Amino acid sequence: MTELGPLQALVDQLQRLPGIGAKGAQRLAFHLLRQPRDDVEALVGAIRDVKERITYCSVCHNITDADPCYYCTHDGRDRSVICVVEDPHNVAAVERTKEFNGAYHVLMGALSPLQGVGPDELRIKSLLDRVGRGEVAEVILATNPNVEGEATAIYLAKLLKPLGVRVTRIAMGLPVGSDIEYADDVTIHKAMEGRRDL
Amino acid sequence: MPLHAADALILRTYKLGEADRIVVFLTADRGKRRGVAKGARRTRSPFSGALEPMTRGRLAYFERERRELVRLRYVEPVCSPLASDSVEALAHVGYFAELIDEWAPEADPNEKLFRLGAAVVESLAAGLPVGPLARYFEFWLLRLQGVYPPVTACSRCGGDLSAGGRLEAGGGTLVCVQCAPPDEGGGLSAAAMAFLAAARAVAPLELGSVGLSAAADRELTRVHQRLIRTHLDKELKSLRVVQSLTRAPRGD
Ligand SMILES: [Zn+2]
Ligand SMILES: [Zn+2]
Repeated sequence: MTELGPLQALVDQLQRLPGIGAKGAQRLAFHLLRQPRDDVEALVGAIRDVKERITYCSVCHNITDADPCYYCTHDGRDRSVICVVEDPHNVAAVERTKEFNGAYHVLMGALSPLQGVGPDELRIKSLLDRVGRGEVAEVILATNPNVEGEATAIYLAKLLKPLGVRVTRIAMGLPVGSDIEYADDVTIHKAMEGRRDL
Repeated sequence: MPLHAADALILRTYKLGEADRIVVFLTADRGKRRGVAKGARRTRSPFSGALEPMTRGRLAYFERERRELVRLRYVEPVCSPLASDSVEALAHVGYFAELIDEWAPEADPNEKLFRLGAAVVESLAAGLPVGPLARYFEFWLLRLQGVYPPVTACSRCGGDLSAGGRLEAGGGTLVCVQCAPPDEGGGLSAAAMAFLAAARAVAPLELGSVGLSAAADRELTRVHQRLIRTHLDKELKSLRVVQSLTRAPRGD
């Protein structure tokens, strides 16, 4: 079996990726084996580039290939509004809406007692420093609508409000296109809390 | 594949594959189980919002032959910790869930533990102060596991403990102030003993009328954490975070 050593090594590596099990890893490995050499080189190059060229923005902690990042430097972005999210891929989700033109702050997680993640493990101090410099008018807390995200948002609000900045929380509640009849009590309760004037 | 419906408490979840979750839950009738919730990480999943730790709900699952993991069909939340709106309460959600998860063995029915957990979420959602609730929860959890020492009489002389007591260094018993050796920690004042006496008698929702001073809360916390550490033989992951979040960073 030694001649299959390299193949097994690839399967082992692929299996360590999130969402990929033993069967999936094997399928991918055989797929790569069948691919033209150039295609595989391109994939290897892309993986190496990501590690070598992508870093974290020193201002907002989003992923970027230039530090500070586009959102922290571009003239077209309104840096008096900061949208706080848990992870870099949340930035991409907000950007897809094309509704938001401000800056971001990525916490790199949420308060999670079960995972042992406390305030010191999150990028909270740099957020307070940014707001403390006085150029920020509003902080939008866009952490996830679950126990960890809620705890994080309430915790941040307590720290931010004394700095004299407007603190808002994204609305939680009913998914668009759903039916109130089938919503559970907490969802309706949260939707009522987040109601707005028309 | 028989379908079981049950009252249950969600304890925690783990990501599985692209869109699924493994859910650890405590049923009222069959103890702790693990199951797969297919598609639970999609926004429009029938499970969305229902799998937060300490959510109490009505759920249904399929047993699969020779498999430890059951397949969850649905979870209808009855009471959710998301109804509470303080950092202290939300931080304790994970702590309560971790304690139950650590203590409940798989598939070993324990209806009392389920009822304790369910009552605690209800009280959290109702906005009860979390300090007394947490001490109450620890007291009953440890009692149900048979590791809380008797709180009415000194284990040495049988004397009354209402004036105060001390957890003996060995860990297992409470002694009165006369029998207690010179201070080596683990002391409980008369106020702390009064809280325990009340906790024996009331439901968690009635805790609002039972006072607990900050000092007595600290004493009980120390004694309970000592008992928990001794019996679990480990430090809870959530404890450090809960403590850093309840030390209220500012005055309010
Ligand atoms: Zn940036
Ligand atoms: Zn005694």
